[in-house]
Parts: sequence; C-alpha cells; structure tokens
Amino acid sequence: MGERARQVLPSVLSVLLALAVCWLLIAITRDADTATRAYVQMLWGGVGNWPAFLDGGSATSVTRPLGEAAMKAALLTLTGLSVAVAFKVGLFNIGAQGQMIWGALAAALVGAHVALPGALHVPLALAAAAVAGAAWASIAGVLKLKRGVHEVISTIMLNWVAVSLVDNWLVIGPLRAVAEGASSITGTAEILPSAQLPRLLGDSSRLNLGFPLALAAALGVWVWLTRTRSGYETRAVGLTPEAARAAGIPTLWRAGGAMALAGALAGLAGAVLVLGTEGRYPGSLGAPYGFDGIAIALIGNNHPLGAALAAAVFGVLRAGGTRMQLLGVHKSFPELIQGFALLFVAGRMVWLALLARRQKRAQAQAQAGVEVPRA
Amino acid sequence: MSLEDASLDIVPGELLAVVGENGAGKSSLMNVLYGLYHPDAGTFLMDGKPVRFKSPRDAIAKGIGMVHQHFMLVPTLTVAENVVLGREPTKRGLLDLDRACDEVAATAKRFGFQLDPRARVDTLTVGSQQKVEIVKALHRGAQVLILDEPTAVLTPQESDELSQVMRGLVAQGRTVVLISHKLKEVLGVADRVAVMRRGRTVAEVRASETTVSALAALMVGEGSRGAAMTGVPATAVTATHLTGTGTTGAAAALPPAPVEPAAASTGPVVLEAKDLRATGDNGRPALQGVSLTVRAGEIVGIAGVDGNGQRELAEVLTGLRKLDGGEGTLLGGPLVGLTPALAKARGVGHVPEDRLARAVVKAMTVEENVALGRHRQPPFARGPWVDFKGRRERTEQLLTGYDVRPNDPTVALQALSGGNQQKVVVARELDARPELLVVVQPTRGLDIGAVAQVHERLRDAKARGAGVVMVSLDLEEVLALSDRVYVLYEGRVTGHFPRKDLDERELGRRMLGAEASHG
Amino acid sequence: MLEVLHSLLFSTLDAAPALVFAALGAMLSERAGVVSVGVEGMMRTGAFCAAVAALVMPTPLAVGVGMAAGAGIAAVHGFLSIRWRSDQVVSGMALNLVAMAGGTYLLESFFGPNGTPSITQLSRWNIPGLSQVPLLGALSGHAAPTYLALTLPFLFHLLLSRTPLGLRLRAVGDKPHAVATLGLSVPALRWGAVLGGGMMAGLGGAVLSTTVLDRFEQHTPSGLGFMALAAMVFGRWTPLGAFAAALFFAAGNALRIGLASSAPWLLDLVPQGFLLALPYLLTLLVLALQGQRGHAPAALGIPFEQESR
Repeated sequence: MGERARQVLPSVLSVLLALAVCWLLIAITRDADTATRAYVQMLWGGVGNWPAFLDGGSATSVTRPLGEAAMKAALLTLTGLSVAVAFKVGLFNIGAQGQMIWGALAAALVGAHVALPGALHVPLALAAAAVAGAAWASIAGVLKLKRGVHEVISTIMLNWVAVSLVDNWLVIGPLRAVAEGASSITGTAEILPSAQLPRLLGDSSRLNLGFPLALAAALGVWVWLTRTRSGYETRAVGLTPEAARAAGIPTLWRAGGAMALAGALAGLAGAVLVLGTEGRYPGSLGAPYGFDGIAIALIGNNHPLGAALAAAVFGVLRAGGTRMQLLGVHKSFPELIQGFALLFVAGRMVWLALLARRQKRAQAQAQAGVEVPRA
Repeated sequence: MSLEDASLDIVPGELLAVVGENGAGKSSLMNVLYGLYHPDAGTFLMDGKPVRFKSPRDAIAKGIGMVHQHFMLVPTLTVAENVVLGREPTKRGLLDLDRACDEVAATAKRFGFQLDPRARVDTLTVGSQQKVEIVKALHRGAQVLILDEPTAVLTPQESDELSQVMRGLVAQGRTVVLISHKLKEVLGVADRVAVMRRGRTVAEVRASETTVSALAALMVGEGSRGAAMTGVPATAVTATHLTGTGTTGAAAALPPAPVEPAAASTGPVVLEAKDLRATGDNGRPALQGVSLTVRAGEIVGIAGVDGNGQRELAEVLTGLRKLDGGEGTLLGGPLVGLTPALAKARGVGHVPEDRLARAVVKAMTVEENVALGRHRQPPFARGPWVDFKGRRERTEQLLTGYDVRPNDPTVALQALSGGNQQKVVVARELDARPELLVVVQPTRGLDIGAVAQVHERLRDAKARGAGVVMVSLDLEEVLALSDRVYVLYEGRVTGHFPRKDLDERELGRRMLGAEASHG
Repeated sequence: MLEVLHSLLFSTLDAAPALVFAALGAMLSERAGVVSVGVEGMMRTGAFCAAVAALVMPTPLAVGVGMAAGAGIAAVHGFLSIRWRSDQVVSGMALNLVAMAGGTYLLESFFGPNGTPSITQLSRWNIPGLSQVPLLGALSGHAAPTYLALTLPFLFHLLLSRTPLGLRLRAVGDKPHAVATLGLSVPALRWGAVLGGGMMAGLGGAVLSTTVLDRFEQHTPSGLGFMALAAMVFGRWTPLGAFAAALFFAAGNALRIGLASSAPWLLDLVPQGFLLALPYLLTLLVLALQGQRGHAPAALGIPFEQESR
C-alpha cells in the first residue's frame, strides 16, 4: 500500500461509511425507500437537478443548487484551511469559530461604514477580517508559545468570549443597526453595495466571489507550504521541532505565524459569509462553521487541497440538505454525516490496521501460491 | 538484537555487579529478569526451578525488585503514596495514609534510610528519590534488588551513600544486582563482577581479584571490530588478563597507531573555549569548566563515559544549549550568545547523536532533509522559493557520492535504514563545507560498511581543512580517528592526549575518573 | 436586599447541578490522563435520552438512562483513545459534532422543532422548617440533583484523595509507566475513569432536561459542557475546585438572568456580554498567570504505550 493510499484511503472510507451509517439511520427511523429518495434529493440539491435540466428544465435547476453548494463549500474550505494550517505546526485550532466571528464583524463594519469604490472596498473589508481573525488567534498563539497554555483549552475559551462579547453585547448594543422606520432589525447595519462580493452568475445563483476566493486560498496555502522556504520551515517545525531548531529555523515565529494565518483564514470565512450572503453581521453566525472546519481539515487529512475537496463534498451534501426536507428529513442531516465521517477519521489507526491486515493476508496467500478470492 | 547468549548466576546474599559498555546488553538482561522483556530463547531458573515471568507482576511476586534508570515515581504523590501504590493499606475502605506512612517509615528505618514518608516526591533530591525507589522495591518484599545505572544521576557524595546502602542490604541478607559502567565504584562495592560485551556475558570475576584496568580491558574486548573497520590493530588483551590478579602493567601497551602521521596540526584555531559551564536537562551542572582548542585540519576526540558532559559540550558548540559561564571564540565570533542559526552561518556543521530528534525530519523526503538547514540558500532556494531542480540535482549527486540506498530523493527519509539515514546526514553536513564539524556518536548503530564510510568522510573533512570535534563513547573509534583526545569526566577535562601519547588504558582510567597514574 | 440575595442563591442552586456534574465528570477523566473535550456531546446525549426515556418511564429512572447514554458516548471515546490511541481531542470533538447533529436529527424526526413533549420534572423537596429561615431557606425547594451536587464533590474529593482507587487514578494521570511497572493495568484504570466521567456528564445533561427544563430543546446544553471544562480548568483539576468554580459560574449566570429581569438599567453599565464572557476570561487569565500546563495532569492527552515486548 503506497504512502498516498495510506493518507487518502482512510478519509474516503470514512466518508463512505458515514454515508452508509446515516442512510441506515433514516432507513431504521423511517424506511429504506425514504432513505434512498432522501439521498437522491440531497444529491440534486447539491449538484443540481441534472435530469430535470436535461429534460428541458430551466438552467436555474442546476445553477441555483450549485451556487448554494459553492457558498457552503467556500466557508468550509476557509475554516478547514484554518484548522489545517495550525495543525501543520502541531497546534490544534479549535478556535476557528471565534476567529470567524471577529472576522465577520470586522468585514461588516468596514463594509457598512467606509465609503470606497468597489475595487477597493471588498479587498479592504477582506483584509480587515483577516487581520481581526489573526489577532484573535494570536492571543492563543502567544499564550501557548510564551506561557505554555494548551491551545485546545485557550481556543475553546476564546470562542465563548467572542460569542459573548460580539453576539451578546456589541451586535445587540453599541453596533446594532439603527432601526429605520418601525421595523427593527437584528445585527449590524447593512453593508454598502460596493462591499458586496460580486455574484458570478447574476440572479440565477447565489454563487459569488467567495468560492473562487476560497479555492485560491487553498491553492495559495498549498503553494506556500510546498513551494516556499517559509512554508517548508513551517512544516519542519510541525513535524520535528527540535530538528527544526537545530537547523536554525526560528521555531517560535513559524509556529506563531502559522497560528496567525489560521486566524486570518477563519476571519476570511467570516468576511465571505457577511459580504457574500448575509449582507451584515446577523444576530449570530447561525452555524458552528468553525467546528465544521475541524471535521473538514481532518477528513482532508490536513492537506490544503484535501480540505478543499472535503469542503466541496460536504458543501454539496449540506446544500442538498435543504432538499431532504421534502421527505421530512431535517436539513441538518448532512451535519450528522459530517460528524460521523470525522468520528471514523478519528479512528484512522483502526483503518490502517485493517488495511494492513488485509494486505498481509493477501501477501501470505500470494506467497502460498493461492489465488486471492474475489468477492 | 541486544542479547546474544547471555548467562548470569546470581548468588543469594551477594552484591553482583554487571558491567559493560553502552549497548552491551546490561539493561536488556535486567529487563528480562524483571519480566518487562521476553527472551527469544534460553532458560531462567530460580532456586533450581524454571520460571517464566509474563509481566513485572510475576517478578515482584517472586521477590525481584528493580530500580529503573529513569525513576518510576509519580512526582505529585508523597513518598508513602508512591511506595504503597498498588498495595495500599486501608481502613474501612479508605486509604489508611497514617498506616502507610508508618509502614514506609518502618521499612526505611530497617534498611537505614532517612526518608520523610509525607514529603512530596518532586520536592526531593534525586538521591532521595532513588531511595524511595529502593524502599518501594523492598516494601514489596524484594529479595533480589536490581539497580540499573543507579549512580548515573547522583553526585559523588550521593553515590558513596548509595554504596553504603547497597552493602547494608547485602549485610541483611538481600541480594543486589548493580548495573554500571563506572568501574571504580563497582570495585569498591561489589562482591563479584560480570562483564558483558555485545550481548554476551564474557567473564565473571571476584571483585577482590581484579582491577579497574583489567575490567576496562574486558569491557572493550579484543578489538576485532576495530580491526575490521578502522585498521587499528587490536589491543593485545588475552583471556589470561581476565582472571589474572591484574596489575596495570599486565596488559600490553597499545601498539603505535600506523594510520596517520602523528604530526600535530598547525592550522589556524577554529575554536578556542575557556571554562565553559552549562546546565544539563536534569537541572544539574553538566559542564563545570571545560576548556579546549580545536585547529583547522585536525580531529579532536572527546572521550568519556556516557553522561559526563559530552552531549552538552556538543550542544554548546552548535548553539543549542545556553552557556552559564565561560567564554570563547568560534570561527571568529564569540561563543557566548551562539544560536543554531548563527553557528550555521559561521560554518559549523553538526551530526548530532539523536538523529531522529535533532538531525532529520523523518516524515519528509530525502531531498527535503538534504536541504534542512541550508534551505535558504542556493541551490536549495531561489529567493523565497524552494528550488526544486537545484535541490533534486544536489541530492542526486550526494546520494550517489555517498552510496545511499535507495538512491531516490523522493522517498520519505523514514523509509531508509538507520545507516543510510546517517549517510544522508553526514553528506548534508559535509556538503556545506563546514569549517568546524561537531559530530556526536557518528557511527552508533551502523553496520561495518557504513561505519568505515563515515570514518573515511570524517578524515576527508579533516584533510580538506575542517576542524572536527568528535564525541564518541566508542573508545576504538576515538583512538582510530583522533589527532588529539580530551577526556571528560563529570563535566571536567580529566585528560588531554596528543596522538603520540594515546594510551588506551590510561584513557580508560581517566574516563572512569581515575587520577593520573605513573606518568 | 435579602430578598434579592435569596432568589439569586435559589436560582444558582437550581441551575448549578448540571455544571457541577459535568465538571466532575470531565475532571475524573482528565485526572486519569484522558482529555475530555467531548463533555458537551455527552451532556447532549444524556439530556436527549433522559427526556425521551421520561416519556415512558418514571423520571428518576429516565435520569439513569441519561447517565448510561453519557457513558455510551464515553465508551466510543475510550475505544478510540485508549484502545486505538487516537488523538483524544479529535475523538472528543467528533463526538461533539455527532451528538450535536444527531440530537437535532432525532429531535426533528420524532418531535419537531419545539423540543420533546413536556415531561414530569423531578419532584422538588421542601425541607420543613428551613424554608422560613432567611437565606438558608434558599436551600429548600430543590430537586434531588441539587442536593446531590452539594455532596458529590466531597465524595469525589474523598475518592481521589482517600481511597486506593483514587490514588491509582491520580498516579495513572501523572505517570502511567510508574503504574505499569507495579503490575497495575493502565488501560483498565483509564477505562474506568472515562466511563465514570461519561456517566457524570450524562447525568449533567439529564438534569438539564428533567429539572431545569421539562424537555429536550434544540440547543441543549448550549455550551454548558464547555463551561464545565472551564470550571474544571479554573478549579485546577480538583473536585472541590471544580465545584467551587461551577458554583461561581452558575451564580454568574443567575445574576445575569436576574439582572436582566429586575434591573435592566444595570446591564447598560455592565453589558450582559461581559458577564457571559467572564467565566472564560477568568479561566484564560488563571491559565496565563499559572503558565506552563497549569495544574493539568502530567500525562494528559498522551496515549499510553506499554514498552514491554
């Protein structure tokens, strides 16, 4: 079994097993037919209803679902990258959620209160979000590197501090949008049109610049890690810190830098959510995208492109989740698939042991001159 | 492989010492006795009956206790809690700590220990912690007590005290097995000494009938390895010396080494260090005033028994460990404030002892490892980018030049054998053309062919004009390569020999802390 | 004033048990060296199972079902982290996600968005005579979990500090190899602690849906599991410390809710968000000041590998 197979197979098998287990769950709670139809709906809801389209349906039956999937995938890619980048230096970033909150808030404020032409406004809002996320992540980074505080605990705490301060104070207090007329709205003021992420397919889909941006980020992280000196140093620090130190690599800066980058990526996720779909910082982010990022990163085996791929898969599933409601399956169902997939990936050692045993058996049989039985 | 046909008789009521070089199999043998390892073959009799220990629990039940080299104490628990752990006295289901303290105090007193049962273990000195370990074993009714390198972490005073403790135990009818490579100590305390070499027990002698020199000769062996690898003639030690009454003069003097001319290097000084002081990982002073000079074009050997400051010296010279005191010049810059990056920039190469922890990133590819440390400069980088082509070409050259197998720059380093990994490290460090090369145990665990190649490369570096500092626990290696040798003992230089004065016996004596003898 | 204090104390005691049980459970697991970021998921599972079980059986029995469910989730954690030496944080977070999504799915499939049907809450006990005493009266009128939460921390303290089992648990969290060389089983001790911790977290969840609420709601336990982790850390991984921290955090919550209804003008001065963030900020501060690993067990999170061969 090749090294690549050892890395990819457990993830693929985990996702497949998760799909199977969850199918079984619907089959048990409802019936097998419903389960299968729900899965088909999930697929059409994610990649577009191609049969309907090819039968002469409107283009939106494909573009709309794909746009929804791309939106979800963009957020998952960015938070997944955030977790994966921190993992590259051996840090477990559970705090993508909190970093994303600050990023979203920063983007919302810049988007609403700074008047600039579009070509500058969007980049500025994105940059503000990245800086805010990086700053929040750096608190955990500094606590870890200077005070030895375990990042798992500190990022969990920082998540809740962010939720408390932003959702329960700033957004309902000082930064709350001034109600216009009688209708009171939740969240911050609406961003200016110049700060909106451009829609790529016009009105036929909510697909916006966020998706290519997330893909570019994945590609960028991958290029950085594999092709630049500092990316190489970062990986060395994560894999064998003492050897990196002995090689003259500034280990603290690399670890701190990776943590800041992780925060910046999560912050960008917040910006994409606000500038792309929400149009303002809503009452709350609504979903634990930061925790999803942990699942995406690990299912993607901490590889930037793997994370993007995992994000695409789960973006499709989660966009399709809304269609499952037609069959009475709650729209959060794909999150359950994702949770199970992460659980099975956590058992990577089990997979590898099983695969190794299978291989050994095959070898033994091959040596004994016995044909390996085919199922 | 660590044991190969080893035999040992343990006689009740005696103090048996097992001596041997690092890696001779002493600890393995003891872990077999304690049920931690399981032998592939062989028998194990106790009081004439064959026994088989599946786990330490069986060994403990049969009255065997072991004090591990790395203490097995829970630092946050008290002395009494550590001792009774697993067989706690209770009163109405609750831990009876008072009784535990009384029992432990009683056990300690019976064997003459001063211990406060209520003290937390992490507040104790290392010497006291060791006593806790001994009491722990005795408290479980150990009749046979195995101590693995017990003095490695102790101060001389604590070591003396431990010797008394061990004699006291024997006087009370217990049996003590002491594993050590400090011969002087061993002779002062043991009744009988078993010598191990390369997994075999090669001799058993009465302590009263042998000397440090005779034991050292037995430990080092006949040097067949050296003959095969380095071309240094064997030391003329024969079996008669093993059991003989052993005066120092009985062993033949080392024949003159024919390998290199004995002319001292007159190259420029690359390293001048005065009174270096540094603290070891255990918080105790590891270097206590080391001074040394290294010139371009010579190999300076650092000899000594493991744990006498050699590792820390190498770390100081490569910027990995901070100096507590002392000063020096290294390749034109101060030694104080040296960092790994600075050392690299000045031209220091480093082949560290613990390859997997310090020298390589095993999960990275061979070519990525070849770049490590030089990854910011051509041909490994172009601006901020990794130069894949340059890196590949250089790696291919080195792999071919050093005969690394497989000759594939793209496999993960961990897929290579230890010998080939080491070749990659040596290739990388020498390829940087260092002006000072610090190597520690460069051939440990390598096969004969690889050893010969590494040695050849070190000589090449010297011929090219590099100053080489070589730390090795293998005396043969030191003798084969060094132009000059410093001997370290307890963080101090106890001997300095130019090549022409190299004498294995004298070197061995200094390594074991002996004073300079007959001139 | 006395009135206000009384009601504050009363609501603290009413809300504290879930937090106390979960914090104790997390502490038990972590003292034995197994990271417990999965408490949130264990609480959620316990809360859901107890709420559903209470529909068909007496509520006290249903609480037992909740405990068993918590232990069930913990068993998966144990299987992955003890048997297979997986990353304990990954395993715990995975279980959180599964419990989060699974709870929602089952709730929506069977009961709809408003939570499970209302159940009979655990009955409250009025302590005769006590209710008239000022302040102390706040001790009266709670359900059994409150009284359990006031005693269990001391029992846990006794367990850890005064029993052979407790001694072994502490030892296995600090230096498992020392325990192994004495012939004791490291996995067995850790399994026990993880399952016990799961039961406690499950109990915490069950208490939420059977006393604080009368059903399982969409967001139960809304981060209380993470607050329990904070209490454990803040309490330096000790039963009494975790207990005190949990009470303190619960009092903070009660104060916040109390202020919101009785003195909203105060909240203009000290925004609710600050009060909400306080437990976590304090925990961070304590960690930053303690430095290093604080008082965490030395072998926490490190899979145990028997060296014998």
